[in-house]
Formats: sequence, structure tokens, C-alpha cells
Amino acid sequence: MKESKWKQFLGVWNTKTIVGVAIGAALFGVLMVFGGIKIFSNTSLTSAMVVVVVVAALFGPVPAALTAGIGNVIADLIGGWGFWFDWSFGNLVLGLFVGLLPLYGAKISEGIFTVKHAIIYAITCIVGNIVAFGLVTPLLTSLFYSQELAITWLQAASAIVSNGVVLIVIGIPFLFLLAKRNASKTNLKKED
Amino acid sequence: MGLTKRLFIKIIPGKTFLDKLSGTTKVRFFLLLILLLIVSWDLRVLLAVSALGIIGMISVKPNWPLVRGLTIFMLLTNLFNLFLIWLTNPNYGADLTGGCTVLLVLSKHYFISAETLFALFVRFMKFMSTFLISLCFIQCITPSEMAAGLYSIKVPYKVCTVVSLAFRYIPDIARDFENIKISMQARGMELDSKKVGFFARLKQNILILMPLIISSFDRIGNIANAMDLRGFGKGKKRTYYSEHEETKEDKIMKVCYLLTAAGIVAIMIGRIVAPPEYKMWKPW
Repeated sequence: MKESKWKQFLGVWNTKTIVGVAIGAALFGVLMVFGGIKIFSNTSLTSAMVVVVVVAALFGPVPAALTAGIGNVIADLIGGWGFWFDWSFGNLVLGLFVGLLPLYGAKISEGIFTVKHAIIYAITCIVGNIVAFGLVTPLLTSLFYSQELAITWLQAASAIVSNGVVLIVIGIPFLFLLAKRNASKTNLKKED
Repeated sequence: MGLTKRLFIKIIPGKTFLDKLSGTTKVRFFLLLILLLIVSWDLRVLLAVSALGIIGMISVKPNWPLVRGLTIFMLLTNLFNLFLIWLTNPNYGADLTGGCTVLLVLSKHYFISAETLFALFVRFMKFMSTFLISLCFIQCITPSEMAAGLYSIKVPYKVCTVVSLAFRYIPDIARDFENIKISMQARGMELDSKKVGFFARLKQNILILMPLIISSFDRIGNIANAMDLRGFGKGKKRTYYSEHEETKEDKIMKVCYLLTAAGIVAIMIGRIVAPPEYKMWKPW
């Protein structure tokens, strides 16, 4: 049982997952550059996090984390504003938390997503946000650039709020939608 | 394609000195320079790297109007950040350089000291040099060179493929986005940002986003099958078509990046053996 959890955590690394993560990272990058509305210096209300939710639902935690991390690097690259690995790491950690979906039994690809799962999802999103942008990013920023923690926290707070809103307000209905879309497949049974 | 023009993606290799280097050289040199900029608090190092960045920028002949817009934006963001730092801690320089020579007293709490100005300037240079080096790197690398370069520093090739595949997919996203936008407009959606409010814009974002995400992810199966049919992921190693043998220029740059690496190691060892009293070097 323990090993299968670990496998769920890592995800299955076949070609499908690689393509999924690649497309997710590309979407994440483009949305981060163009799909955002500025709210504070260095941060904006971006819809990019929705992509991470989809990858999480389809492939699990580690692919979701890679999508967010690589996606952020791609955003930095195509946006041209330089690489800020402190924020990429923050996104990576958040992706990991968002991707925990299959570990508490929400199997979107099989159409399983209940209210209970939604509540756990919301809690992990909030916790993940706080760990990612309240701890990891400020720590790395002060380590790399010796920025005053107060400002990083201001930026982090706005990131936490905006990501939280996107993940919960858009993410949960979207997960229900995806689950419903996949549910129709489940009445087919495999013949021996 | 309006969207792709505003992106910094180079698909076709250019002809300048930096363009002709191999992916390995570009990626390694870039990562080491970024690492150096993270480790170093020495204004002399930062200025030297910035000078290198500026020379590099000029040599790659970038799209100047785009670069200018971005640079102005980065300058303003950076200055705003510095102002915030000063606002939260007017004595920012004291911890970093030691000493506090007050130049101007504004109120009981707010004053300007020479050390703070110097520390803020160092930080400004740290950010701007990181920005310059990244911009330079972005201007001279193609996605497949980047994958090859990442592979050369022992990143698993499946992750490298994620990077190059993601870049390959960006023009497709741009095309899909345009199509969805046009069909939404045909259904009577107002997309002029001046005519609609904040929440209406948010809602529109989502309405365009959903079909974009779903249609993109529906394509996974096709792409994965095509890759499987061509035998992707069967071997343990991989070679890259874009990667060429080391040229004379590559060898010169190799010396440069090895020196950079040695510099980073020297700084780290210096910090452990003889920890400096203050984080920043200062001229006086």
C-alpha cells in the first residue's frame, strides 16, 4: 500500500505524462505572461494555476510540481524579464501540494471527485500556498538577494491571495467539471 | 500572429558570436553566471558582469523596441522595490556594510545614509545584472539547444524533452488562443479592455481559458502516440541534433566559464575560512 502511494506521488513517467507536463508548462508560461492582471510589484492575479490543477488531476503531484516549476522558468524566458528561481521554486512547491489529489482518493480520470475531496483540496491549496510563498520563496529571496523580508512577505501575501482565489474559486468547479466529463467513461467495463 | 511576436522565442539559430556557441556552452555559462550573481555581494563583480551583459546584448542584435520597453518596465519595478525596502528599513545599509553616515534627515524615523544608498545601489546592480544576463541568454538560445545544454549538465533527458516540447507548443497555443478569441467575439463578447470592468474581464479570461486548456490537453494522446511510434523513451541516453562539436569559440568560452566556476568556489571558501565582517564590500 505504501509503495503504491509513493508511485502515485511520483506519477507514471511514460510519454503521455511527458507530453502532458510539456503542454501544461507551455500553457502555464504563456498564461503567466499574458493572462495576468497586475496587482502588486512582481506578482499578478494569474489564471496560470488552473493549468496546474488540470495536470495534477491527470498525472499527480510530481508532474504537477514540474509543470509549475518549468512553466515559471518558461514564463521568465518568454517574458524576457530574467530568471527568478526563488519564485520558480515557490511555484514548484505549490504545484506539489495541489497535485496531492490522487493521494486522498480524488481520481479525476475515473470521475471520482466529491465534496469531501473538494474540502481537502481547498485545505491543501491553502497550506501549500502558505508553505510555498510564505516560507520557501521568502527564504530563498532573502538568501539570494538579501531582500527585506517585509517586502517579500508583502509580495508573497498577494501571491498567496491571488493563487488561493484562482485555485479554489476556479479550480474546484473546474475539477468537478473534469470529473463529470470523465465519469461517462467509467460505465465501460474491461472484458477478460 | 500577434501573440508570438511579443514573445522572446528564437527558433532559428542566429549568426552572431554568441548564437554560434553550442547549447552546452550557453547553458553552463549562463547558469554559472547566475550562480555567481546570487553568491556575490561585491559591487566590482556585479559591475563586471553587467558590462559583460551589455556587451553581450549589443552583440546579439536584439529586437530593440521590445527590449527597451521591457528594460524600462524592469527599471521601474526595481526602483519601486528599492523604495519599499527603504520605507520598511531606512537603515538597510547598516547591517550589510556597517556604519551609518547620515546625509539627510527627513523625519524622526526616516533618514538617508550613505551606506543605505550604497547598499541599495548594490542590490539594484544585482537585479539589473541578473536581468541583463538572462535577457542576453534568451536572445541567443533556441529551445533544442537549451534541451541539449540541460542534458549536458545531467538533467534527465525526459525533463529536457519537456522543455523543448513546451517551446514547440507555444506557437500552437497562440494560434488556438486567436481562434477562440475570434469565435468568442463572433458570439458577441466585448473584448476591448477599455469598455469592460475588472470582474467582466476576469470572467472573459476564464471563458477563453477553459476551451484553450481542454483542447490543448485533448491533444496529449495524439502527440504521445506519435512520439511512441518514433521510439521515444526507449534508450537510456539521447543525442541532440542541434548540438555540434566544440569549436574554437566554445573552447574560449569554456575557459571563461571554468574561471567563473573557480571564482564561485573561491568566494564560498573565502566565506567559510575567513567570514567577512559585513556582507557587502564597500569602497571606503
